[in-house]
Amino acid sequence: MSAKIWALSGAFAVIIATFYIGWRSSRTASTAQDFLVARRTVRSRRNAAAVSGEYLSAASFLGVAGLVLKDGADALWYPIGFTAGYLALMLFVAAPLRRSGAYTLPDFCEARLGSRALRGLAAVFVVFIGILYVVPQLQLAGQALANILPVPTWVGATVVTVVVIVNVFGGGMRAITVVQAFQYWLKLFAIAAPTFVMCLLFIGNGGLRDGQATTLTEALPPTFTQNTEIDVRTPVLLRVEDPVWLAARGETDGEPAMGTVYWGPGTHEVAAGTTLHFSKGSSVPVVAGAPADNESWLAPASNGGDLFSTYSLILALFLGTMGLPHVLVRFYTNPDGRAARRTTLHVLLLLSLFYLFPIMLGALSRLYVPELLVTGQTDAAVLNLPHSIAPGILGDILGAVLTAGAFAAFLSTSSGLVVSVSGVLSTDVLRGRVRDFRFATAVAGGVPLALAIAVRQTDISLTVGMSFALAASTFCPILLLGVWWRKLTWVGAAAGMIVGGGLVLASLVINTISNLTGGWAPSVFSQPAIITVPAAFLTVILVSKATPAKIPADVAQIRLRMHAPDNLGLTRDRAVASFGTAEERSRLADGRHRKE
Amino acid sequence: MAVSVLGMARHIADELKEGLSGTGVRSAARGLRRLLDADFVALADLSGRAVWAPDEPPFYADANALVERVLHSENREGRSPLVAVPLHVDHELAGVLVVAGASRRAAVREASKWVVEALERGRLEASAEQAAQAELRALRAEISPHFVYNALTVIAALVSSEPDRSRELMLDFADYIRYSLAKHGEYTTVADEFHAIETYLALQRAVLGDRLQVQVRVAPEVLAVALPYLVLQPLVENAVRHGIEPRTGTGHVQVRGEAEGNDCVISVEDDGLGMDPALAEEILAGRGGSDSVGLANVDRRLRSVYGPWYGLVVETATGEGTRVVVRIPRFQPGVMPG
Repeated sequence: MSAKIWALSGAFAVIIATFYIGWRSSRTASTAQDFLVARRTVRSRRNAAAVSGEYLSAASFLGVAGLVLKDGADALWYPIGFTAGYLALMLFVAAPLRRSGAYTLPDFCEARLGSRALRGLAAVFVVFIGILYVVPQLQLAGQALANILPVPTWVGATVVTVVVIVNVFGGGMRAITVVQAFQYWLKLFAIAAPTFVMCLLFIGNGGLRDGQATTLTEALPPTFTQNTEIDVRTPVLLRVEDPVWLAARGETDGEPAMGTVYWGPGTHEVAAGTTLHFSKGSSVPVVAGAPADNESWLAPASNGGDLFSTYSLILALFLGTMGLPHVLVRFYTNPDGRAARRTTLHVLLLLSLFYLFPIMLGALSRLYVPELLVTGQTDAAVLNLPHSIAPGILGDILGAVLTAGAFAAFLSTSSGLVVSVSGVLSTDVLRGRVRDFRFATAVAGGVPLALAIAVRQTDISLTVGMSFALAASTFCPILLLGVWWRKLTWVGAAAGMIVGGGLVLASLVINTISNLTGGWAPSVFSQPAIITVPAAFLTVILVSKATPAKIPADVAQIRLRMHAPDNLGLTRDRAVASFGTAEERSRLADGRHRKE
Repeated sequence: MAVSVLGMARHIADELKEGLSGTGVRSAARGLRRLLDADFVALADLSGRAVWAPDEPPFYADANALVERVLHSENREGRSPLVAVPLHVDHELAGVLVVAGASRRAAVREASKWVVEALERGRLEASAEQAAQAELRALRAEISPHFVYNALTVIAALVSSEPDRSRELMLDFADYIRYSLAKHGEYTTVADEFHAIETYLALQRAVLGDRLQVQVRVAPEVLAVALPYLVLQPLVENAVRHGIEPRTGTGHVQVRGEAEGNDCVISVEDDGLGMDPALAEEILAGRGGSDSVGLANVDRRLRSVYGPWYGLVVETATGEGTRVVVRIPRFQPGVMPG
């Protein structure tokens, strides 16, 4: 019970801290004497922390470790892709986009191509991507809370949604840069500190307890390090490599089971509501589809079909990041294009640092919590690990810190997305003012909540991967070609968005149906980017070529603004005319009180 | 039937907004051809260059000669099936309408009148735009002589006792003048506008001493938002001039900028005398006398740039202080600093 109190107070502390910082930085007043510091711009580093804080979702905090636990080396593409997306963003988009003056993705469409119709279409896809991204966050929040308290999963999802909406209503997201920057450091601490402690314990204990567990390089399945009882809540299909004796109560392989069962090599079905009991040292059956023994777990692309979906995944993540609605709005805070690029560079560093830890936790989970492989609920690995490594008060504290980090992840990403989606809803769909923004916020939080409760949960990283694929197939072509290709027209952009987005949404529907009816769909439907992204690009190019009359008349002017380097003066002259050059100012003012 | 004719007429008027040398002329000619059910229709500007719909007719040379004749005589020339009608906008020849085909005389006359009206409307819109631009330029130059005098006097008084402070104030004054008078584009950023406010407030604090307490807070998220020049500064000047100066004792002025959804909200608040809400309404409507032109002007400029949703909001009551709220979208097509 004490563990639950610890974890609960961790989550609670994060919620309070988030409220407090948002409230403080938007409410308290500076003293009359120092009012000249108001014109401070956000430093690239702080802005980068804010971008990372908003970006590191539950998929990163919990999902990556879970995938590493299950899929091993193949899962490493997730953290790599989540980070590398910013490389594409930095190289091709960040600076020109900032110079274009656009705040949201629909803004960019309108600024570049001058079409209200395209703007509306872009708004629709922003809403789709946002919802698709929030739903798994809420589902995981439900699961995390159900881990701590004996409540159904919808409670956690509702709690997070309510906290986010209340915070937005209360104005807590007005000083969002400070809040999100804090969230990044909080999450980094919450994952790094427990990882260090658990690694120390692992080494201090002389590696694996009793030397009974399978090491990570052996060609054997992982083994249970203690007697383990597992409640199977959803039906699973398990693959067994080494024959195993176990006690089961419920239904296995289509027959009622009560007492000792023998599983030979092959696949075995377990119905919902069954309790399995494994004794210490026996090898772990693994959900079908995941590598069963540790050697193939450690080797990349263990079966050939994976290669295709791996490339698809890389493409989706690499090109999808630039199309995420909550990422781009953060770049608006940068004063100019160069700062936008510098911010992205810092984001790359911050994310690379963060993603070291989930990977280590994933590897530790393979040793200490293999029972998750049986239920398939590997997203819980991070939260279950501490108690398995360090039973007692130390485990409680580590668990509390990790839970706090997980709730920071739920809150920051969900708030960012809800704010972005409701901004787009209120400007482009509802066309109204403050009350409408509140209404839009309620919609942007309520709809994903309803979906999160209604739709069955799958691995979070897979669902999040789908929203990256949607972003890569809709906004990426428009951003890349909009920035770099003169002949883009709004008709081409709209056609590409419809084709790319339509294909992804169709495969999402097919995949969902297939999951409910026995998983007949090939893997391309769960990772469609390798087909949809080129299709979208091709459509944009061909249709734009076919409608040259629709090239905006002021395209040369817009492109000049986007591509002219900042210090060439197209955007800086003005400041020089009004305030003089930097050297002039510092010479006059001796660097006093004019904080530029 | 009536709907399609009205729709066509509206389309023609829209296309003629830029005048007879604009980009929409061909499309307007096409519309006129369909409306008159003629074989060919052309619109020519004063240079005599005709734009034909659907394309140039075989009797192109004859028609051109006809256009030349009309441009000289300023009268209707030719006879059915080829007629050319002069287009007089504001009693001044602006171009020629040529119709070839079996159109009724009255129909051609009405069509030419419609074209003339569309051209007149276009001209009015253009001149309204010019008037707004002129207004903006006029507002920019509006620096209170009273303030300049006070500021310079205070600086002069400080020269011997506090030379460092007076030097800094002098620089603030230079910044303030530079910002208010410099030649620049139509739009600036919130960051620059706040900087201008700060220089102004620094000077006012020197003038008013401890009577003026100031708070300026702006969220970093909105610093990059583009907005028209000198929108905030007149509001702050108003707050100081009407809220603090006329009374004895300390007064507070608060300026804050925050993000709210896709908008940026900036408020200027003083705890001075305030005013009757009805008076505030009069002032915003531009009937408040020469003393408060600034507020109405800012309101009108905001509306013309961002649309009717985005005017000033004034919250006030007698003796309760005044709060003026500006709401601007973070992105508006065409609004770019520089």
